Amino acid sequence: MSREEALRKRARELLESKQVVMVVGHRAASTKGKAQPAFIAKPEDAESLIFDETCGQNLAGHLLKVKHLGKIAVVTKGCDSRSILVLLKEKQLDRAQLHILGVGCEGVKEDGKLSDSCITCEYPNPIVCDEMLGEPAPGDRLQTLNPKPQTGELTSDERWRELSEDVSRCIRCYACRQVCPNCYCPVCFVDASQPALVGKTTELSDNMVFHIMRALHMAGRCVECGSCARACPMGIDLMKFNRKAAQIVKERFNVVAGVKEDDAPALTVFDPNDKQEFIR
Amino acid sequence: MSTAEPHPQEAGSQEPEPKIVAFLCNWCSYAGADLAGISRIQYPASIRVIRVPCSGRVDPFHILKALQSGADGVLVSGCHPGDCHYLTGNYVARRRFAVLNDLLEFAGIDPGRVSFSWVSAAEGERFAEVVREVTEKVKALGPNRKLVKEPAS
Amino acid sequence: MTQRVITADGLAKLVTEWAKKGAVYAPVKAGSKDWTEFRRVTSLKETDFSRVNTKQSAKGLLFPQREVMLRFKDGKSEEPAAPEEQVILGIRPCDAAAIAFQAKFFTGQGQTDPYFKARLDRTTFIGFACNTPAETCFCTAVGGSPSGTRGLDLLLTDIGGKYLAEPVTDKGAALIADMPDPAIGDLERKLAEKCAEQMPQAIDTAALKRRLDSGFEHPVWDELNLACVNCGACTFLCPTCHCFDVTDEERKGRGARIRVWDSCQFCIYSQHASGHNPRQTARSRYRNRVMDKFKYTVDMVGELSCVGCGRCIIECPAGIDVRETVEVLTRQLPEAAEKK
Repeated sequence: MSREEALRKRARELLESKQVVMVVGHRAASTKGKAQPAFIAKPEDAESLIFDETCGQNLAGHLLKVKHLGKIAVVTKGCDSRSILVLLKEKQLDRAQLHILGVGCEGVKEDGKLSDSCITCEYPNPIVCDEMLGEPAPGDRLQTLNPKPQTGELTSDERWRELSEDVSRCIRCYACRQVCPNCYCPVCFVDASQPALVGKTTELSDNMVFHIMRALHMAGRCVECGSCARACPMGIDLMKFNRKAAQIVKERFNVVAGVKEDDAPALTVFDPNDKQEFIR
Repeated sequence: MSTAEPHPQEAGSQEPEPKIVAFLCNWCSYAGADLAGISRIQYPASIRVIRVPCSGRVDPFHILKALQSGADGVLVSGCHPGDCHYLTGNYVARRRFAVLNDLLEFAGIDPGRVSFSWVSAAEGERFAEVVREVTEKVKALGPNRKLVKEPAS
Repeated sequence: MTQRVITADGLAKLVTEWAKKGAVYAPVKAGSKDWTEFRRVTSLKETDFSRVNTKQSAKGLLFPQREVMLRFKDGKSEEPAAPEEQVILGIRPCDAAAIAFQAKFFTGQGQTDPYFKARLDRTTFIGFACNTPAETCFCTAVGGSPSGTRGLDLLLTDIGGKYLAEPVTDKGAALIADMPDPAIGDLERKLAEKCAEQMPQAIDTAALKRRLDSGFEHPVWDELNLACVNCGACTFLCPTCHCFDVTDEERKGRGARIRVWDSCQFCIYSQHASGHNPRQTARSRYRNRVMDKFKYTVDMVGELSCVGCGRCIIECPAGIDVRETVEVLTRQLPEAAEKK
């Protein structure tokens, strides 16, 4: 049985037996190559569930919208499960109210190309799940596809110029923030108005501060699912920032977001022996 | 005033100082600055001090906002690790600053624009030294042109 | 007005001439990216009309995302210089219609927005009819046409290396007055009409509007909004969306009053000074956008605020398709009795 068939069957069973009130998954969108999050409450609708290379949306964030309904089953690939772990640790979800349907992920595609985040993905299979549907994805396949992108040795000014080019395209639609499963603050720092922290204009300075601060807020929490980069209508590689933040957290504090069930988010704790070579 | 105010570093011949915003924790670094003053230790008049309860109070936002508002440099100073008045405030802050420091470097903000230090209440001379050093670094970098915001342009 | 045929060389000469007198904006390939965007050009060579629509619509050329309304210094204020004369070349009929729609808001409701008006008065719109629709195009479903002339001064239709030029206004006629005037063959007209045949059927928008009139609290919204992530991509890329916010920025006694785009999808959009927010939920914000497109603007200025360009469908990070939304609403909302 394919993953997709197993998924539809289990979704239907779970809904029919009333073990869950809703199954959150993916369904085909009207345009080719795109999927839409699906919120299935009726057993007969389970047939519309799909799982393939178009299902790039991280569903963990969508759980926050429906968690008040009761126990929810959620279709979970590797990155979704890591986001769920982050949300559990931050007390945004209740594990007892989740039924995690694990699926192995062979990488998602965007305009026919494997998404950057999937090229570097080390966790194609869920870290936590209640049951696996179909076969797990081969764990080492994606890493061998392509090495991590090289950053290269650039000077400060070159790096600034390169990032400025990206960031100046930003139209501040906040699609990156909104699709991010781990961005759930009721009032985001860019929306704070008393006082206003970041200017609302699309000036380079404000755009840069927005993106630096977002990366900082994601440090130790971003699971590198790449949803933000795929969502950006202006084609900005937002993962440049987030990948860097994740790398910093890993190198400095030896923490990878959402892969362990019992560690605390990196920036909420400390080690008296943390490196402080940058402090005089 | 008739024309735009020239940047202090470009204005005149007598080597004007850059503008550096210094966030000093109330219990150690602020007292250290006080001691430097009482002891009449000379250091450059480049810093504008903002007293904060703890280095843990300093949000990376404050630092970026200072740069956006035209500061040429930012100094954040708190108690030595282990000496925090609130026990662990500076430890938590240290992680945050580490990530900010590396992210700023990644974004191409020149290293040295934003500095961090630990200065205790007894270290007046050390405080003066830190300010001298930070001022020299920022002077060498020249005016902050990258993050500064010119709303009238 | 007399239609004429312009050769590619003829158009190239015209573009070079216009570029000497003012700014010419046209679709240009966006660097390494796989899309086009309106940029200032000096020759036809720089342009790229191969895509149906540009990434962002042309609305930013009349209503920029960041616009300085006035500058102030030491207590004195100064208005920005009048905008330059500009030609927008290669705007699609849907985008041009959208600007005509925006003009109703900015100039047609008893109040005139001087910033928009100043740009509108100095802009010449030269449209490009669409020969092949994109998968996401649906202008014909909402009252438009791939060769529509609304909002344009001149419409060009590619008839294979040559352009059929149809003046819409005197301004447009003057642009091509010096061009030769050969007879127009039936074949060439046919080419221009071919596209419309491939487009979707019109939606009964009057019936949809009647359904929306009484459907504000219908439970269908509970389901429809779930997939939406409440970002502002659709509103910012929409050629008709025209909400803005005004912000004052100041440093060392110098500053500016700046107008920036705003989006009804953002939670602070409708937040009152008291802290109360009438559209607190994601559901209410999603509903507002759909209602605005198909009901509110009909109530206000008598027409839909959707021109069928399809940008919201292409860019929605959640894969939401407004055509599908309309279909679901038409199916699920009960039709209220027509009010006389």
